[in-house]
Amino acid sequence: MDLQTLILNLQHFWAEHGCVIQQPLDLEVGAGTMHPETFLRVLGPEPYRVAYVQPSRRPADARYGENPFRLGRHLQLQVILKPSPDDVQGLFLRSLEALGIDPAVHDIRFEEDNWESPTLGAWGVGWQVLLDGMEVTQFTYFQQAGGIELAPISAELTYGLERIAMFLGRKDSIYDIEWGGGVPYGKIRLMDERESSTYGFEVADVEMLRRHMEDWEAEARRCLDHDPPLVIPAVEATLKTSHLFNLMDARGAVSVTERVGLIARVRKNAIRAAKAYVTQREELGHPLGNALEEVD
Amino acid sequence: MTAFLLELRTEEIPANALPDARRQLGEGLRKGIAEAGFDGIEIRIMSTSLRLVATVENLPERQADRTERMTGPPTRIAYDDDGKPTKAAEGFAKKAGISVDQLETESTDKGEYLAATVVHEGRASAEILGELVPAVVGSMRFPKMMRWGLGEFFFVRPVHGLVALLGGDVVPMEVFGTEAGRTTVGHRVHAPGDFEVPSADDLAWELANRGVLIDPDERRRVLDERAAELAAEAGCRVHPDDALVAEHVELVEYPGLLRGAIDPEYLELPSEVVITTLRYHQKCLILENEDGSLAPQFLAVIDRRDDPEGLVRQGNEWVIGARLADARFFFEEDRKRSMEDWSEGLERLEFHRVLGSIAAKADRAGALAAALAERLGLDLDADALRRAAHLVKTDLLTNMVVEFPELQGVMGGHYLRLEGAAEELWTAARDHYRPTGFDGEIPASDTGRLLGLADRLDTIAGLFGVGEIPKGSGDPFGLRRAAQAVVKITAESGWALDLVDAAGAAVDGLAGVIDGPATETSAKVRDFLAGRVRRYLRDVVGVSGDAADAVMAAGWGDLSELRARAEALDAVRTSDRMRALGLAFKRVKNITEQAGETVVDPELFEQDEERELHAAADVFADRLAGCVGARRFDDAFAEMGKLAEVLDRFFVEVLVMCDDEKIRDNRVALLTKLRRDFLTLADLSRLQVDGGKE
Repeated sequence: MDLQTLILNLQHFWAEHGCVIQQPLDLEVGAGTMHPETFLRVLGPEPYRVAYVQPSRRPADARYGENPFRLGRHLQLQVILKPSPDDVQGLFLRSLEALGIDPAVHDIRFEEDNWESPTLGAWGVGWQVLLDGMEVTQFTYFQQAGGIELAPISAELTYGLERIAMFLGRKDSIYDIEWGGGVPYGKIRLMDERESSTYGFEVADVEMLRRHMEDWEAEARRCLDHDPPLVIPAVEATLKTSHLFNLMDARGAVSVTERVGLIARVRKNAIRAAKAYVTQREELGHPLGNALEEVD
Repeated sequence: MTAFLLELRTEEIPANALPDARRQLGEGLRKGIAEAGFDGIEIRIMSTSLRLVATVENLPERQADRTERMTGPPTRIAYDDDGKPTKAAEGFAKKAGISVDQLETESTDKGEYLAATVVHEGRASAEILGELVPAVVGSMRFPKMMRWGLGEFFFVRPVHGLVALLGGDVVPMEVFGTEAGRTTVGHRVHAPGDFEVPSADDLAWELANRGVLIDPDERRRVLDERAAELAAEAGCRVHPDDALVAEHVELVEYPGLLRGAIDPEYLELPSEVVITTLRYHQKCLILENEDGSLAPQFLAVIDRRDDPEGLVRQGNEWVIGARLADARFFFEEDRKRSMEDWSEGLERLEFHRVLGSIAAKADRAGALAAALAERLGLDLDADALRRAAHLVKTDLLTNMVVEFPELQGVMGGHYLRLEGAAEELWTAARDHYRPTGFDGEIPASDTGRLLGLADRLDTIAGLFGVGEIPKGSGDPFGLRRAAQAVVKITAESGWALDLVDAAGAAVDGLAGVIDGPATETSAKVRDFLAGRVRRYLRDVVGVSGDAADAVMAAGWGDLSELRARAEALDAVRTSDRMRALGLAFKRVKNITEQAGETVVDPELFEQDEERELHAAADVFADRLAGCVGARRFDDAFAEMGKLAEVLDRFFVEVLVMCDDEKIRDNRVALLTKLRRDFLTLADLSRLQVDGGKE
């Protein structure tokens, strides 16, 4: 199964299970979790189901296209099920069947792997899902986001698309997987990985990054100080600071001590934005409904 | 008598939480059942990754009835003149839960009183369990807990099913919103459907038929046997990894195993890299040949009986191939640069905000190691040591150690060896993190020992200097373990090194880096090390705690000397002579507490016992010097022991605190001299008379 069929099948599967099929966030982020469709939607009582692909940029993981297993930008397929349904594990296993993986002839395991994002003030409990020893999905029950205890709880499924494609195709290099229509991944992405590595490790202007980080941090604050707070613009500005931080980090420009301080600065705005979102949704009367009231 | 069965089904419980989950469930049920008055009931707790199971054997169906005799108000106020019961009688009857005409009377020496016999009917076991189980499960605590769904419940993982059977009957109860019943499920792959458990005794058998082994001990047995079989088929044996097998026992419902192949070219990587890659990324066991070399085969534990299409093996082989290829990529990348070249990056690797980079730390450790080498008269070049202090830390920057932090030291050793470094250097890189606390061997070479010692002393002194001092269970920098390693290296290197001096030198080396008075830091570090030294004597050397205290009170800087002295005292500490001396020495210490330095004047002795003690003390002092010089502490304590009877006679016959000031002072002077000599070996007053068991 090529990469695009994998994406189409998963999207189709999750659409059939009540998910809104969203599009990737049009900003640089390190993970699908940072998309407001996850980071904000998991807050508050409104039920929601969403799935989308998110290109995830991690400049420090880039390897000039030389390491066959590592990328500076990879694709995640992110699913949020809120509240987490009782049979969420069963649903997940059926989604693997949509990829042609028959659980009856494989060894599928859920091994503890908890997740934490200091920049988002978020953490969750869960597993990495192993298929015949290969990690294919991160499975998390969100417990907190933006420093806020969550109820209802969302289940987050994050499929590592390139890895799954590699594993299913038994390819020895990411660049050999087939994207679609017989076109290999490498022909589409290799040059981009090389250039992005050179940029991230050697060329990026640290002073400029630092300056822009300050600017976008201030901009996020301005959005939050606005009356009423501008939630999405504040989140977007905060995500920009997060990415700028990642670039500086990849450049080796962040010391251990400074790191803690910078992360705390990003987190501060993320937490404020989360609180503002909760208030905003309350004031709107929870347009998507209230899962906690429906049971009563 | 009936059996009770509890099965709580959940999503996958983390392996490391299960042993404690079993303990908590067992303790809670045992306590509740004992409190309900049932004695000698056997409770068994089992689990898989997906269920917690308790079985209780021979539980009576109900508690025995209990009769209680209650005494009420005096009869004279219980009935009025007409013989009708008063409010007092009615009140008592109500309290006892019987009618007034059932009241009895009881004569005592204070008069006649109302009495009642109350029969408390025993409660049904089902009722007791219906309350106990939800309370016990609800009070279980885990290192990391979670909510799910609407968030009402809080447990280690979401709960999906509850079976509670007393004999053949369901015990009504609810745990986390799940009603008890008799329905459960088989193995997710082999028998995924629901089924009903007929009665409490049937679960293990019914589940075994459906691919689930609920007893962890049985899963362990199956794993061990199957692993040995698969290894033998390949003409190999399993590279032992008890902790990993124990983890697998908790990770599955059925412990399946398969053998897969590794491309032999990966075995050219250092064996630690291969083992770590397999263990930490894939939790796989590796096979080894008779000679201990790695074989190109691994064992993967799978949660199923079989691999019907061979896909599970293929998949695992592919992943392991990918992991090893990744490791080899790192290895080759790392080797493209020399360690000397890599080491320049240490300046950018921060150790601590105040204490600076790893490079700065290596500068200090190298200087300290060179100073200690000179003090010890070791034939090591100071510049080479300073350089080595950097090189042994350099692997922290390499891809492999960034990926596998547990390979620090190991990789440095390999990289230095492969680029032709001297054995003294590459083994030092490999060994200088050893031992971990008291566990493991000390480094083989003097360079490894010195750098391991200097690095840790600098860590301890530095972090103490900035106030990062371990408290209670809080020791984020692992300073206790570091100090233990310091003690072990110092004690077992055969060096005549004074650890107190060495620690002082480490503190001095931080001058200009940390604020605050160096003497204060030195004192804190010294006390901290003393605590570890005592523990070393007790836990590693095997000396009793009181003997350790006794010898340490006489000085402890030179640990090999201390150790010899401690062992010598420990060997004789329970002898009659030593016990007697211990008591006598307490008196000596009390009497001489206020005394200054005075000279003994034999002319002032009045009694033979004084003269006898004086002579014996002189002989002792004379021989003591020789024994201590030659470190013959057995002999030294034997000489000391000879004073026991003399000292006893002295205390029986001589009144030290006599009226004549001159005579008294002379007697105190004699004891003071004795005290001083004794204290070069040990403070015997710290010996516990009962033998000092700890």
